[in-house]
Amino acid sequence: MKYIPTIGIECHVQLCTKTKLFSEVDNDARGKEPNSCVSPVDYALPGMLPRLNGEAVRLAVLAGRAMNCEINAYSRFDRKHYFYPDSPKGYQITQFYHPIIGAGYVELPSGTKVRIEHAHLEGDAGKLTHFDNYSLVDLNRVDTPLIEIVSMPDIHSAKDAHDYCKELWRLMRYAGVTYGDLYNGNMRFDVNTSVAPEGSEKLGTRTEVKNLNSFKSVERAVEYEIARQTKVLESGEKVIQQTLGWSDATGKTSPQRSKEVAADYRYMPEPDLPPIRLSNEFIEAESAKLPSMPADYRKKFAAVIAGDVLEVLLDYPELMKRLDKLDEEYIKTIANLFASVLLAEEKSAEYLNDLPTVAELTELAEMNKKKELSSTATKEVFLRLFDPQMKGRGAKTIAKELGLIQENDLGALEAIVDVVLAKPETKKAQEDFRNGEEKVIGFLVGQVMRESHGKANPSVVQEILRKKLA
Amino acid sequence: MEINREDIMHLGDLSDFDLSGNEAERLKEDLTGIIKYISQLDELDTEGVEPTYQVFEMENVWRDDEIKPQEASREQLLALTEEEKDNQIKVPRIL
Repeated sequence: MKYIPTIGIECHVQLCTKTKLFSEVDNDARGKEPNSCVSPVDYALPGMLPRLNGEAVRLAVLAGRAMNCEINAYSRFDRKHYFYPDSPKGYQITQFYHPIIGAGYVELPSGTKVRIEHAHLEGDAGKLTHFDNYSLVDLNRVDTPLIEIVSMPDIHSAKDAHDYCKELWRLMRYAGVTYGDLYNGNMRFDVNTSVAPEGSEKLGTRTEVKNLNSFKSVERAVEYEIARQTKVLESGEKVIQQTLGWSDATGKTSPQRSKEVAADYRYMPEPDLPPIRLSNEFIEAESAKLPSMPADYRKKFAAVIAGDVLEVLLDYPELMKRLDKLDEEYIKTIANLFASVLLAEEKSAEYLNDLPTVAELTELAEMNKKKELSSTATKEVFLRLFDPQMKGRGAKTIAKELGLIQENDLGALEAIVDVVLAKPETKKAQEDFRNGEEKVIGFLVGQVMRESHGKANPSVVQEILRKKLA
Repeated sequence: MEINREDIMHLGDLSDFDLSGNEAERLKEDLTGIIKYISQLDELDTEGVEPTYQVFEMENVWRDDEIKPQEASREQLLALTEEEKDNQIKVPRIL
């Protein structure tokens, strides 16, 4: 029997506000001491009251619009109670009954549409580090603003699960609502997977793999769960609904004992925070700040940049903005240069932190177009545009300094060709060519290239040779 | 609404309280009394009345996204915990 997997994903995105969701303390704890970014509000001292960060509301509107979602005019907060040392309050402030972001969808590069059920604002929990017989609590992360994005169960393969998470990551970074640093947990994914016999109207029993922090782990965990659950069903047993953890090292999921065992959160409206009411004007004014999104670029560059190249480049919003500013005739050349650099293993993303200017890129593309630079030389100069030693000098200056400018001057090239043809070691090749041996032209072009120290334009050289040997 | 001993033990579990038999019994009586008292409100007909979450009709109470110096230091906050280690709060191992 064939089994069809069904997957729904919850994604937590940390917002890049300066302060926390409910207190005026530094929200960026990267590289800072434990418990150094904590206010009495985060600490839940008696009598402390939360005050909502307006910037988090604004970013939530942008995030929602990035996913084609309705923004709810009315939203408010609720308390979700649980007892665990990562939350001094004893509850999380979230939006259970009236979330700020309503229904929408995310379109994957493959064209699959994944509907968004809703997304809501909430505070993050603190961080626990476990030791043999005790745990340590760092509250720096308490009430970092999060939006939790809840998808509909519209995903039916591990690959689409991967692509959905990656597309969310792109959307959130293009919208500018998060740093999107996965390694530091800026985005985390909980994945619900079930399988059911093909044609079955009911979904199977699902499991939830919690706290995945890379697209690869999402893909592997889903693959594993699909295979595991299919095997369980094929052997006539039942899948147990449970919360699982994933280990990248073993490549397996395993049951998790967690704070959610007693899922009895006793939600109640948060009495300390008045509701949010957004006017149409506010929503429209904020949404207008959304820049071009991946879907816009896919449409715009479809005829110019190859699909697979574009998908590589789309991971880098700043790079796309730069490409978008280039003259249309140069976009393809520059896009391919970026892709070749990114796909080469030794050059990683941080290479792109300091991008060449539009003027530098345009100058380079022009030289390439006029054949002043061979394709190899173009790439060489392109790489130097990132070089701290060469930065700001411009493509032309760099090309000259490196002696890479191609000789296109016919007179000068003819002179070099004549020198080569006068050499005794080329006589035999010349004779062979005249006798119809087409392929020796390559040898002769090579000799001319050597004589010109690589600066001659090979296609022009070949033309001259053919004329002279005719 | 009837509150039984199981409800009390469940609520105790959720808050990690280790309740003795006597305590559970006393809480059961207290909670039953409280709920009975509050239940008087059930006599009102609230058909078609929107739930009231708050009595002040305030909306959009937001603050600017600006870091303010904190009045309490890390040392002061950590001093309130039972035990600290390496500037963190030390708790019994949970999982």
